[in-house]
Amino acid sequence: MKQDKTYVEDVNRAFYDFRYEDGDSYKVESGLTREIIEQISREKNDPDWMREFRLRSLEIFHAMKMPVWGPSVEGLDMDNIVTYVRPNTERMHTKWEDVPQNIKDTFERLGIPQSERESLAGVGAQYDSELVYHNVRKEVAEQGVVYTDLESAMRGEYADMIRSHFMKLVPPTDHKFAALHGAVWSGGSFVYVPPGASVEIPLQSYFRLNAAGAGQFEHTLIIVDKGAHLHFIEGCSAPKYNVANLHAGCVELYVGEDASLRYSTIENWSKNMYNLNTKRARVEKGGRIEWVSGSFGSHVSYLYPMSILAGEGAQCEFTGVTFAGEGQDLDTGCKIVHGAPDTTSHVNTRSISKSGGVSTFRSAVVVTEKAAGSKSSVSCQSLMLDDISRSDTIPAMDVRTGRADIGHEARIGRISDEAVFYLMSRGLSEEDARALIVSGFAENVSKELPLEYAVEMNNLIRIEMKGAIG
Amino acid sequence: MSKEIVCRPLAETFSWLRMGGTEVTLPDGRRELACRLTPHENRTVVLEDAEEAALVTADLAEGACLQLVSIRREGAAPLTYSRIRVRCAERAEFHWYRLVLGGQETYDDCVVTLEGKNSAFTADIGYRLQGEDSYDANCEAIHLGRRTDSRITASGVLSDRARKLLRGTIDFRRGCAGSAGKETEDVLLMDETVRNQSIPVILCAEEDVAGDHGATIGQPDEESLYYMGTRGVDEAAARTMLAEARVDAVICRIPDADLREALMKETEA
Amino acid sequence: MGTELLRAEDLYVSAEDREILHGVSLRIGRGETHVIMGPNGAGKSTLAGALMGDPSYEVTGGRIFFEGEELQDLSASERARRGLFLSFQNPVEVPGISLENFIRSALEQRTGKKIRIWEFRKQVRKVLETLQMDQSYAERDLNVGFSGGEKKKAEILQMLLLGPALAILDETDSGLDVDAVRTVSQGIREFQKDKSASLLVITHNAAILNSLEVDAVHILADGRIVASGGRELIPAVEEEGFARFEDPQREEAGA
Repeated sequence: MKQDKTYVEDVNRAFYDFRYEDGDSYKVESGLTREIIEQISREKNDPDWMREFRLRSLEIFHAMKMPVWGPSVEGLDMDNIVTYVRPNTERMHTKWEDVPQNIKDTFERLGIPQSERESLAGVGAQYDSELVYHNVRKEVAEQGVVYTDLESAMRGEYADMIRSHFMKLVPPTDHKFAALHGAVWSGGSFVYVPPGASVEIPLQSYFRLNAAGAGQFEHTLIIVDKGAHLHFIEGCSAPKYNVANLHAGCVELYVGEDASLRYSTIENWSKNMYNLNTKRARVEKGGRIEWVSGSFGSHVSYLYPMSILAGEGAQCEFTGVTFAGEGQDLDTGCKIVHGAPDTTSHVNTRSISKSGGVSTFRSAVVVTEKAAGSKSSVSCQSLMLDDISRSDTIPAMDVRTGRADIGHEARIGRISDEAVFYLMSRGLSEEDARALIVSGFAENVSKELPLEYAVEMNNLIRIEMKGAIG
Repeated sequence: MSKEIVCRPLAETFSWLRMGGTEVTLPDGRRELACRLTPHENRTVVLEDAEEAALVTADLAEGACLQLVSIRREGAAPLTYSRIRVRCAERAEFHWYRLVLGGQETYDDCVVTLEGKNSAFTADIGYRLQGEDSYDANCEAIHLGRRTDSRITASGVLSDRARKLLRGTIDFRRGCAGSAGKETEDVLLMDETVRNQSIPVILCAEEDVAGDHGATIGQPDEESLYYMGTRGVDEAAARTMLAEARVDAVICRIPDADLREALMKETEA
Repeated sequence: MGTELLRAEDLYVSAEDREILHGVSLRIGRGETHVIMGPNGAGKSTLAGALMGDPSYEVTGGRIFFEGEELQDLSASERARRGLFLSFQNPVEVPGISLENFIRSALEQRTGKKIRIWEFRKQVRKVLETLQMDQSYAERDLNVGFSGGEKKKAEILQMLLLGPALAILDETDSGLDVDAVRTVSQGIREFQKDKSASLLVITHNAAILNSLEVDAVHILADGRIVASGGRELIPAVEEEGFARFEDPQREEAGA
């Protein structure tokens, strides 16, 4: 970590803020009409059902109201958002060398191919709306694991599987931005892990939004079949523009009987991004979903990964950290529905607010009548780094059976002066001491991430903490 | 007859949960109680829930202390509603002791503003609900002054098809440096058919504060039942004792000895 | 030897599907004090739990008789009402029920008779004094916020007030400072004054035994009683530890 104080103000995001002139081949008109949706559908060569699905979603989108309970999305002018941007590449590339140079440079800077070479089983990278690069290690492919882009999968041998799962967990009627997603979704990944297969090394995807005023609407569909295991990592970033960007992606995860899936995310969208992402998992009997989630970027976030524990003994573990700095209003948390007997959930989150940032932890734990014998524990801690920021905790619990065991704890506070003094007495500067304490506070997440991601996350915290002391 | 949204909390949760306020048709009658406490005045008020909607406003001057004991009894009225608004000046204290011993529908909406520095608010809520009883409450502590303190403690028992919804909010406004708020909830579920909803909210716009929340919601725990069993208390008796303990814990805190003893006797029977 | 009070025959006990006791037999006569010593993990607490009927242990073989009656199908409270008592290593905190009210209710349940509050309170005060506990403990919620030492004393207090026929003390001395051990011993001696009262003292520390009358000592290692004898076993353990009692086969293999 360079300790250069002179460009603290500007450097803090420079690593992620580089961009290239967008020489886009094609942009659709601003605003959303039936014609635009049909045009997108034609361009994508959608099957008929998908074209119908998009049009139906558009109607729902127009009919639904904006959410009234979260952070303001007034800065988002839907009519001026170019909903579909396709970078200058023709088709998917399976060799890194074939990806166009400017896109390649972007991903090289983000370290994507390196990490693939080092430890990841497969990498898919999404640049704006199209998936530009995709590869799965041979040994993973040999287990029958499918990792491809959703659009080509929709026309291949998994067509029926996709049709029966696509937006079944998150229907377009879920909320306005789910409907928008259903209408304009583009790109994203499809992963299928066959029964009993176990992917030891993580699969990774990386999303990057490069065009100004653009939307990214990727769809991730993962099916982990009976007794199979997978770790999937997604990373997101975007350079900074003055125009608002929108990310309304959708993640649907199906975890089969006795299967397990770990879904890790490090989100570092630039601070003009409206991140209205919807993530949901359905877990069958004896299955397990683990969410690891780091939210650092975005101007506004609404993000509450939901776990539906549908089968007996299904489990959910959610570990998250949210860091809201200047100009950020990050409303994050999770939702858990205990829908079957003897299901368990554990939630452990941390949030940090600084320089006027607003972080809100919002959660819902619902234990239905069918979930006798279920257990849930939620623990959320918040750290206020100054007195101009804000940190709210809004956890809801709805227990509809008498045979349940629910625990919840929340704590909010500041960095203790004693801890800072202790570290300074061992020779650390005050700034480093505070950064170290904040990194330690976020350790619940960093210790769950693969090393290179943990390092990146700690770098993000350091960058955010730099210049924190006036 | 007027329809009102009662118990609307400061912060909204997800709209699909429908926990952000309840629409209720309130009785026409209004019983108003407005108290103005002079500096260092100490007063205890006992309020029994009745047919009319009870509207309590209290303005506590410097160093004043108000203790409000409000009791909801089984047969009082099918629906009762009480709204409590209290403002505390410097070093003023408001203590609310709330007992809900039954009743078809009970609504409470209590908002306390800690304006003066070193002012304090405590709420001790105890409920015992059975049959079709329901209790819907909102309790907010708004910290404005420096070094203000709040504590909201709720403990209760739900049997049969009883239902309870508690929204507790600790709201640290900017400038309330040195303040602390603590909310604890303990709900005992005696039957499969009960329903418990809780939203323990902490809002915070100040760095130098300590906010805490803890909730345990569940059946009588096996460990306690076994422990009590080793002393010869059988399971049914142990469950009854654990249930009574929830309400007793609140009664024990009532400062007025006569009232305390009387309530103890009443709840034992 | 006194007339038989408790007899455990060839007990096999499991917890979470793991067998912990592999055939333990024990016979305690009326008025006798037995000691069980053994290293950590030997199964001492498991034995105590199995005798008391802790639902987290499963007795997979063998039988337990108390006053000639088989205990197998009896719950903990039924065993307690027949005169068994267990002092817990780490008793659970029960908010909302005061220590005094709890013991009174337990006694009332056992006898089926109402107990006069004032007379009982006097009795409680006396025992609190014996145990050098502040009088306020009577009013405090059962074990809530008690320190480790206070919890142990509160257990002994309950033993003295409930007056069981057999009290099992599970590591009642662990984690106590010298003064507290002395106070607790005082309480146990008080209990021994009743010549028909029996004790089963589980410990891995000899200090608490110094001032107690002891009739028999058993060494429990790896889920089996590997040695039984009189008081003389105590200094043997103090000097040489438990190693010489543990798994003789392993010792041979090592030799």
